[in-house]
Amino acid sequence: MLQINNVSKIFLGQRKGLFGHTEGFKALDDVSLRVAKGKSFGLVGESGSGKTTLTRCILRLETLTSGNILYEGADIGKLTPTEMRRLRARLQIVFQDPYASLDPRMTIHDIIAEPLVIHRDIVPMTARQRTERVLELLLQVGLREEHLFRYPHEFSGGQRQRIGIARALAAKPEFLILDEPTSALDVSVQADVLNLLHRLQEELGLTYFFISHDLGVIRYICDEVAVIYRGKLVESGPVEDIFERPTNEYTRMLLDAMPDPDPDRSPFRQAASA
Amino acid sequence: MTLLDIKNLNLSMRSFEGETQILHGIDLQVERGEIWGMVGETGSGKSLTGLSVSRLIPPATGRYLAGSIAFEGRDVLKASEKEMRTLRGRKIGMIFQDPTTNLNPVFRIGTQLVDVALHAGHADPTVLGLEPGASSRDLKKAAKRVSVEMLDKVGIPKAAERIHDYPHQFSGGMKQRVLIAMAMIGKPDLLIADEPTTALDVSVQAQILKLIHDLVAERNIGVLMITHNLGVVAQICSHVAVMYRGRILESGSVMDVLKRPSHVYTQALLNSIPTAHTKRGELRGLGGVMPEVQ
Repeated sequence: MLQINNVSKIFLGQRKGLFGHTEGFKALDDVSLRVAKGKSFGLVGESGSGKTTLTRCILRLETLTSGNILYEGADIGKLTPTEMRRLRARLQIVFQDPYASLDPRMTIHDIIAEPLVIHRDIVPMTARQRTERVLELLLQVGLREEHLFRYPHEFSGGQRQRIGIARALAAKPEFLILDEPTSALDVSVQADVLNLLHRLQEELGLTYFFISHDLGVIRYICDEVAVIYRGKLVESGPVEDIFERPTNEYTRMLLDAMPDPDPDRSPFRQAASA
Repeated sequence: MTLLDIKNLNLSMRSFEGETQILHGIDLQVERGEIWGMVGETGSGKSLTGLSVSRLIPPATGRYLAGSIAFEGRDVLKASEKEMRTLRGRKIGMIFQDPTTNLNPVFRIGTQLVDVALHAGHADPTVLGLEPGASSRDLKKAAKRVSVEMLDKVGIPKAAERIHDYPHQFSGGMKQRVLIAMAMIGKPDLLIADEPTTALDVSVQAQILKLIHDLVAERNIGVLMITHNLGVVAQICSHVAVMYRGRILESGSVMDVLKRPSHVYTQALLNSIPTAHTKRGELRGLGGVMPEVQ
């Protein structure tokens, strides 16, 4: 469904002289991956590894230095602005910070209806139909009718993330980019949001592109996973393979660094008893 | 003597909507050499318990209804502000969650470290390796030396050079190390770490945890570690207290509490963490309900 071919992205360095630049920063270095329809694809990496740059490239918020990104065979970089806007209705994103990604001056109704207004040529609806759709979405993500005209500050982090998900689903997309959707949440709330995402995927046949630095979450929700380190893809494959038989040194290091809730598996305790 | 002894702590906080009781009878004892983990969801009162120990809750909004906090036998809640200043940064070290907002961006790392070292040195020159009654010139010199030593100790390469850098020239993990260095400069007996690794990558988190673990082994201090990550607790803590809505539901050694949780809530919390064997759809969330305003 989504095909990323040899994508590189170099951010130019400081201006030097009239035309020159100092050496740029290579944020993505020859990244290639494929996301299959109806599956969840996980992208793992530390901060600064290029995860977010890659998603910005998919949404064409950045121009590529080289390589191309195909969405159902069409090169995203070559689309006209109108075509790109059409595509954005099918390709939505849920952001990391549920506190910063909702406009505090809009009601929940307006927030969720906004994509329907923007994409009114693709999903033509009357105002009443829009309200009905918003209500349907609210129920779908586990919120209630009485929440419709409240403001974001009246909600907890987990509820806000549900609103963010409802907004992303409004225009009936087929592809959802989830940029660390649970990293700002408590584990107990994270579990609810992950289950919600899983349920929605089954109900709506969505494809997920899931970005996270939490390996436990990736393992739970994803079918395939790719590990990115300093802009380079170091390893990718089915979740089971990567987690059970990592071949790359860096992947192994990441897996070892993941704190296990079983006290017996703590490296400090093992060292103390040995 | 018990290093830290919290008895029946009741705290209420005022806001525009009225007064809410936040802590309902917290009991906790921390001995030297122990690393206590405090786990709980957002709003369960774990941070406020930590702040109470160094009495950093603004008196205008917070009110202690009952209870006592004894640090080496002294009641912190009844101590004067002057006395508290000799404890904070000297006997009680604190590390906060967000390394980017807890360093001043307009001062060099060194200036900020020396500041802390001087504060501790004025109270007790022996911290800086000087005789009591040392001159302020000696203090300044020693403060600088100790700052570089501490920075080196927390694993900042080329500490003597990096001390002249500004916070923005440091990465998140390095800034967190600077904060740990700051907290350790006064050679505290008790370290309160409020979510020290939450903002960091797993690989950096592992390094920071090792650093704290080694400090405890080396200096025999007590640590109160506030976190919502049960994985972190399982890794380095010797004891754990599970908090929910301002109460400690369960406390004891990590092995007992995490291996054989006696409270349903602890079990539920453990079940909400995805592990290697959790099948999709099997996770159980808890909804995350915050305390109501009375």
